[in-house]
Amino acid sequence: MDASTLRARARPWPKGHTFEDFTVGDRFEHHWGRTLTESDTVTFSALTLSYNPAHFNAEYARGQGHQGLVVNPMLVFLTVFGLSVQDLSEAGGAFLGVNALTFHRPVAVGETLTAASTVTAIRESKSRPTQGIVTWHTEGRSGAELIIDFERTNLIRKRDAEERP
Amino acid sequence: MSLTGTDNFFEDFKPGDLFRHARGKTVTEMDNVLITHLVMNTAQGHFNEHQMKETEFGHRIVFGGITASMVIGLAYQDTGEQALAELEMDGIRFPSPVFHGDTLYAYTEVVSAEDGDRPDAGIVTFRHWGVNDRDQIVFEGVRRVLIKRRPT
Repeated sequence: MDASTLRARARPWPKGHTFEDFTVGDRFEHHWGRTLTESDTVTFSALTLSYNPAHFNAEYARGQGHQGLVVNPMLVFLTVFGLSVQDLSEAGGAFLGVNALTFHRPVAVGETLTAASTVTAIRESKSRPTQGIVTWHTEGRSGAELIIDFERTNLIRKRDAEERP
Repeated sequence: MSLTGTDNFFEDFKPGDLFRHARGKTVTEMDNVLITHLVMNTAQGHFNEHQMKETEFGHRIVFGGITASMVIGLAYQDTGEQALAELEMDGIRFPSPVFHGDTLYAYTEVVSAEDGDRPDAGIVTFRHWGVNDRDQIVFEGVRRVLIKRRPT
Protein backbone atom coordinates (compact mmCIF):
# COMPACT_ATOMS: atom_id res chain seq x y z
CA MET A 1 0.00 0.00 0.00
CA ASP A 2 1.17 3.53 -0.64
CA ALA A 3 0.93 6.37 1.86
CA SER A 4 -2.32 7.84 0.55
CA THR A 5 -4.01 4.43 0.67
CA LEU A 6 -2.81 3.91 4.21
CA ARG A 7 -4.15 7.30 5.24
CA ALA A 8 -7.51 6.61 3.61
CA ARG A 9 -8.01 3.10 4.98
CA ALA A 10 -6.54 3.22 8.47
CA ARG A 11 -8.77 3.83 11.47
CA PRO A 12 -7.39 6.54 13.80
CA TRP A 13 -6.37 5.44 17.30
CA PRO A 14 -6.60 8.81 19.05
CA LYS A 15 -5.01 9.84 22.33
CA GLY A 16 -6.03 12.39 24.92
CA HIS A 17 -9.25 14.05 26.09
CA THR A 18 -11.14 17.10 24.99
CA PHE A 19 -12.77 19.84 27.07
CA GLU A 20 -16.16 18.08 27.18
CA ASP A 21 -14.58 14.97 28.73
CA PHE A 22 -13.79 16.75 32.02
CA THR A 23 -16.16 17.11 34.99
CA VAL A 24 -15.15 18.60 38.33
CA GLY A 25 -14.26 15.74 40.66
CA ASP A 26 -13.18 13.32 37.90
CA ARG A 27 -10.05 11.42 38.90
CA PHE A 28 -7.36 10.00 36.61
CA GLU A 29 -4.75 7.42 37.64
CA HIS A 30 -2.08 8.14 35.04
CA HIS A 31 -0.21 5.56 33.00
CA TRP A 32 3.25 4.02 33.20
CA GLY A 33 5.03 5.38 36.27
CA ARG A 34 8.73 6.21 36.01
CA THR A 35 11.80 5.10 37.99
CA LEU A 36 14.16 8.06 38.26
CA THR A 37 17.76 7.00 37.68
CA GLU A 38 21.18 8.53 38.24
CA SER A 39 21.41 9.17 34.53
CA ASP A 40 18.12 11.10 34.61
CA THR A 41 19.08 13.51 37.37
CA VAL A 42 22.63 14.07 36.11
CA THR A 43 21.50 14.64 32.50
CA PHE A 44 18.61 16.88 33.50
CA SER A 45 20.66 18.94 35.99
CA ALA A 46 23.49 19.43 33.50
CA LEU A 47 21.17 20.37 30.61
CA THR A 48 19.30 22.91 32.75
CA LEU A 49 22.43 24.34 34.45
CA SER A 50 21.02 23.36 37.86
CA TYR A 51 24.24 23.60 39.78
CA ASN A 52 23.56 22.09 43.19
CA PRO A 53 26.07 19.23 43.62
CA ALA A 54 23.55 17.10 45.56
CA HIS A 55 21.91 16.40 42.16
CA PHE A 56 25.06 15.13 40.40
CA ASN A 57 27.84 14.52 42.98
CA ALA A 58 27.03 11.45 45.10
CA GLU A 59 29.77 12.08 47.68
CA TYR A 60 28.48 15.61 48.26
CA ALA A 61 24.93 14.28 48.61
CA ARG A 62 26.07 11.66 51.14
CA GLY A 63 27.85 14.42 53.06
CA GLN A 64 24.45 16.10 53.42
CA GLY A 65 22.97 12.94 54.94
CA HIS A 66 21.44 11.44 51.80
CA GLN A 67 22.00 7.83 50.70
CA GLY A 68 23.21 8.97 47.29
CA LEU A 69 22.22 11.44 44.61
CA VAL A 70 19.08 13.47 45.23
CA VAL A 71 16.84 13.70 42.17
CA ASN A 72 16.63 17.27 40.89
CA PRO A 73 13.24 18.52 42.20
CA MET A 74 12.37 20.13 38.86
CA LEU A 75 12.84 16.71 37.25
CA VAL A 76 10.44 15.25 39.82
CA PHE A 77 7.94 17.98 38.88
CA LEU A 78 8.35 17.51 35.12
CA THR A 79 8.15 13.71 35.31
CA VAL A 80 4.90 13.73 37.31
CA PHE A 81 3.61 16.39 34.91
CA GLY A 82 4.74 14.34 31.89
CA LEU A 83 2.97 11.20 33.10
CA SER A 84 -0.27 13.22 33.36
CA VAL A 85 -0.20 14.68 29.85
CA GLN A 86 -2.01 11.97 27.87
CA ASP A 87 -5.01 12.02 30.22
CA LEU A 88 -5.13 15.76 30.75
CA SER A 89 -3.65 18.00 28.08
CA GLU A 90 -2.35 16.03 25.12
CA ALA A 91 -5.25 17.09 22.89
CA GLY A 92 -3.81 20.57 22.82
CA GLY A 93 -4.12 24.04 24.22
CA ALA A 94 -1.57 26.22 25.94
CA PHE A 95 -0.18 25.42 29.37
CA LEU A 96 -1.27 28.45 31.39
CA GLY A 97 0.32 27.93 34.78
CA VAL A 98 0.90 26.10 38.04
CA ASN A 99 -0.02 27.15 41.57
CA ALA A 100 0.40 25.71 45.07
CA LEU A 101 3.20 23.31 44.23
CA THR A 102 4.72 21.54 47.26
CA PHE A 103 7.80 19.32 47.27
CA HIS A 104 6.96 17.11 50.27
CA ARG A 105 10.43 15.56 50.57
CA PRO A 106 13.58 14.96 48.52
CA VAL A 107 13.46 11.99 46.11
CA ALA A 108 16.35 9.50 46.02
CA VAL A 109 17.72 7.92 42.86
CA GLY A 110 15.94 4.60 42.22
CA GLU A 111 12.53 5.68 43.49
CA THR A 112 9.55 5.02 41.22
CA LEU A 113 6.99 7.79 40.81
CA THR A 114 3.36 7.46 39.79
CA ALA A 115 0.91 10.28 39.07
CA ALA A 116 -2.81 10.89 39.54
CA SER A 117 -5.01 13.95 39.04
CA THR A 118 -8.44 15.29 39.96
CA VAL A 119 -10.37 17.93 38.00
CA THR A 120 -10.85 20.96 40.28
CA ALA A 121 -12.23 23.69 37.97
CA ILE A 122 -13.69 24.10 34.49
CA ARG A 123 -14.55 27.35 32.73
CA GLU A 124 -14.99 28.86 29.30
CA SER A 125 -12.27 30.94 27.67
CA LYS A 126 -13.45 34.44 26.78
CA SER A 127 -10.77 34.94 24.14
CA ARG A 128 -10.80 31.44 22.59
CA PRO A 129 -14.26 30.01 21.84
CA THR A 130 -12.78 26.75 20.47
CA GLN A 131 -11.04 26.02 23.77
CA GLY A 132 -11.94 25.90 27.45
CA ILE A 133 -9.89 26.22 30.63
CA VAL A 134 -9.40 23.25 32.95
CA THR A 135 -7.58 23.07 36.30
CA TRP A 136 -6.42 19.80 37.85
CA HIS A 137 -4.85 18.89 41.17
CA THR A 138 -1.99 16.49 40.39
CA GLU A 139 -0.22 14.26 42.91
CA GLY A 140 3.05 12.36 42.48
CA ARG A 141 3.72 9.41 44.77
CA SER A 142 6.55 7.04 45.57
CA GLY A 143 4.68 3.94 46.67
CA ALA A 144 1.84 5.34 48.78
CA GLU A 145 3.83 8.36 49.93
CA LEU A 146 2.98 11.80 48.55
CA ILE A 147 6.12 13.34 47.03
CA ILE A 148 4.80 16.36 45.15
CA ASP A 149 1.45 17.98 44.45
CA PHE A 150 0.39 20.99 42.42
CA GLU A 151 -2.49 22.67 40.61
CA ARG A 152 -2.12 22.99 36.84
CA THR A 153 -4.28 25.01 34.45
CA ASN A 154 -4.45 24.55 30.68
CA LEU A 155 -6.43 25.63 27.69
CA ILE A 156 -8.08 22.48 26.29
CA ARG A 157 -9.48 22.01 22.80
CA LYS A 158 -13.20 21.45 22.45
CA ARG A 159 -14.39 18.30 20.70
CA ASP A 160 -15.92 19.99 17.67
CA ALA A 161 -12.95 22.29 17.14
CA GLU A 162 -10.62 21.56 14.27
CA GLU A 163 -7.88 19.24 15.48
CA ARG A 164 -4.64 20.96 16.36
CA PRO A 165 -1.94 20.48 18.91
CA MET B 1 39.00 24.62 48.07
CA SER B 2 35.29 24.27 48.49
CA LEU B 3 32.93 22.56 46.05
CA THR B 4 30.45 25.42 46.28
CA GLY B 5 30.48 29.22 46.37
CA THR B 6 30.83 31.55 49.32
CA ASP B 7 28.42 34.36 48.38
CA ASN B 8 25.11 32.51 48.23
CA PHE B 9 24.25 31.48 51.79
CA PHE B 10 21.04 32.36 53.64
CA GLU B 11 22.62 35.49 55.12
CA ASP B 12 23.38 36.81 51.63
CA PHE B 13 19.70 37.29 50.68
CA LYS B 14 17.94 40.49 51.71
CA PRO B 15 14.28 41.17 50.84
CA GLY B 16 14.10 43.56 47.90
CA ASP B 17 17.40 42.47 46.34
CA LEU B 18 17.06 42.05 42.57
CA PHE B 19 19.66 40.06 40.64
CA ARG B 20 20.42 39.51 36.97
CA HIS B 21 22.10 36.11 36.64
CA ALA B 22 25.35 35.89 34.70
CA ARG B 23 24.60 33.41 31.94
CA GLY B 24 22.02 33.27 29.17
CA LYS B 25 20.97 30.03 27.48
CA THR B 26 19.83 29.47 23.91
CA VAL B 27 17.21 26.74 24.14
CA THR B 28 17.91 24.26 21.39
CA GLU B 29 15.86 21.58 19.69
CA MET B 30 18.06 19.07 21.52
CA ASP B 31 17.13 20.54 24.93
CA ASN B 32 13.39 20.64 24.26
CA VAL B 33 12.94 17.33 22.51
CA LEU B 34 15.34 15.42 24.78
CA ILE B 35 13.80 16.63 28.05
CA THR B 36 10.20 16.42 26.76
CA HIS B 37 10.77 12.75 25.95
CA LEU B 38 12.89 12.10 29.06
CA VAL B 39 9.94 13.10 31.27
CA MET B 40 7.38 11.16 29.18
CA ASN B 41 5.49 14.28 28.05
CA THR B 42 3.41 12.94 25.14
CA ALA B 43 2.15 16.29 23.77
CA GLN B 44 3.18 16.40 20.10
CA GLY B 45 3.28 20.18 20.07
CA HIS B 46 6.76 19.80 21.55
CA PHE B 47 8.12 17.17 19.14
CA ASN B 48 6.08 17.00 15.89
CA GLU B 49 7.28 19.82 13.61
CA HIS B 50 5.07 18.65 10.73
CA GLN B 51 1.89 18.96 12.77
CA MET B 52 2.90 22.29 14.29
CA LYS B 53 3.38 23.86 10.82
CA GLU B 54 -0.42 23.93 10.52
CA THR B 55 -0.94 25.89 13.76
CA GLU B 56 -0.81 29.52 14.78
CA PHE B 57 2.68 28.84 16.21
CA GLY B 58 4.17 27.45 12.98
CA HIS B 59 6.81 25.43 14.83
CA ARG B 60 7.22 23.17 17.84
CA ILE B 61 7.05 25.14 21.07
CA VAL B 62 9.25 24.45 24.08
CA PHE B 63 7.47 22.58 26.89
CA GLY B 64 6.72 25.13 29.63
CA GLY B 65 8.16 22.82 32.25
CA ILE B 66 11.48 23.07 30.44
CA THR B 67 11.24 26.85 30.21
CA ALA B 68 10.66 26.91 33.98
CA SER B 69 13.56 24.52 34.58
CA MET B 70 15.94 26.51 32.35
CA VAL B 71 15.10 29.84 33.98
CA ILE B 72 15.40 28.43 37.50
CA GLY B 73 18.55 26.63 36.29
CA LEU B 74 20.09 29.90 35.10
CA ALA B 75 19.36 31.27 38.59
CA TYR B 76 20.39 28.11 40.43
CA GLN B 77 24.10 28.56 41.08
CA ASP B 78 23.20 31.79 42.86
CA THR B 79 19.91 30.79 44.51
CA GLY B 80 20.05 26.99 44.80
CA GLU B 81 23.67 25.87 45.10
CA GLN B 82 23.39 25.96 48.90
CA ALA B 83 19.83 24.63 48.96
CA LEU B 84 19.10 21.77 51.34
CA ALA B 85 15.59 21.34 49.98
CA GLU B 86 13.21 22.88 47.49
CA LEU B 87 9.94 23.51 49.37
CA GLU B 88 7.24 25.15 47.25
CA MET B 89 6.47 26.99 44.02
CA ASP B 90 3.52 29.19 43.17
CA GLY B 91 2.27 31.66 40.56
CA ILE B 92 4.06 29.92 37.69
CA ARG B 93 3.06 31.63 34.42
CA PHE B 94 4.23 31.61 30.82
CA PRO B 95 3.30 34.97 29.26
CA SER B 96 5.04 34.21 25.91
CA PRO B 97 5.89 30.91 24.19
CA VAL B 98 9.51 29.79 23.73
CA PHE B 99 10.80 28.44 20.39
CA HIS B 100 13.97 26.57 19.49
CA GLY B 101 16.77 29.13 19.17
CA ASP B 102 15.36 31.61 21.69
CA THR B 103 17.86 32.81 24.28
CA LEU B 104 16.69 33.04 27.87
CA TYR B 105 17.99 35.20 30.71
CA ALA B 106 17.03 34.94 34.38
CA TYR B 107 16.26 37.58 36.99
CA THR B 108 15.52 37.02 40.68
CA GLU B 109 14.02 39.16 43.42
CA VAL B 110 14.32 38.19 47.08
CA VAL B 111 10.79 38.33 48.50
CA SER B 112 11.54 37.23 52.06
CA ALA B 113 14.12 35.47 54.23
CA GLU B 114 12.96 33.79 57.43
CA ASP B 115 14.07 31.25 60.01
CA GLY B 116 13.29 27.60 59.33
CA ASP B 117 12.90 24.55 61.53
CA ARG B 118 16.60 23.79 61.60
CA PRO B 119 19.26 26.08 63.03
CA ASP B 120 21.76 25.67 60.18
CA ALA B 121 19.40 26.90 57.44
CA GLY B 122 16.67 29.43 56.66
CA ILE B 123 13.82 29.74 54.19
CA VAL B 124 14.18 32.18 51.31
CA THR B 125 11.32 33.08 48.99
CA PHE B 126 12.41 34.16 45.51
CA ARG B 127 10.47 35.55 42.57
CA HIS B 128 12.07 34.52 39.28
CA TRP B 129 11.58 35.92 35.80
CA GLY B 130 12.72 34.53 32.47
CA VAL B 131 13.23 37.01 29.60
CA ASN B 132 13.91 36.12 25.95
CA ASP B 133 16.18 37.89 23.47
CA ARG B 134 13.19 39.95 22.24
CA ASP B 135 12.67 41.31 25.79
CA GLN B 136 9.47 39.32 26.30
CA ILE B 137 8.72 37.75 29.67
CA VAL B 138 8.50 33.99 29.09
CA PHE B 139 8.34 32.81 32.70
CA GLU B 140 7.40 34.15 36.11
CA GLY B 141 7.13 32.24 39.36
CA VAL B 142 7.69 32.20 43.11
CA ARG B 143 9.92 29.59 44.76
CA ARG B 144 10.49 28.81 48.46
CA VAL B 145 13.73 27.06 49.32
CA LEU B 146 15.62 25.97 52.44
CA ILE B 147 19.14 27.45 52.19
CA LYS B 148 22.18 26.77 54.36
CA ARG B 149 23.44 29.45 56.71
CA ARG B 150 27.09 30.40 56.29
CA PRO B 151 29.19 27.88 58.28
CA THR B 152 30.91 29.46 61.25
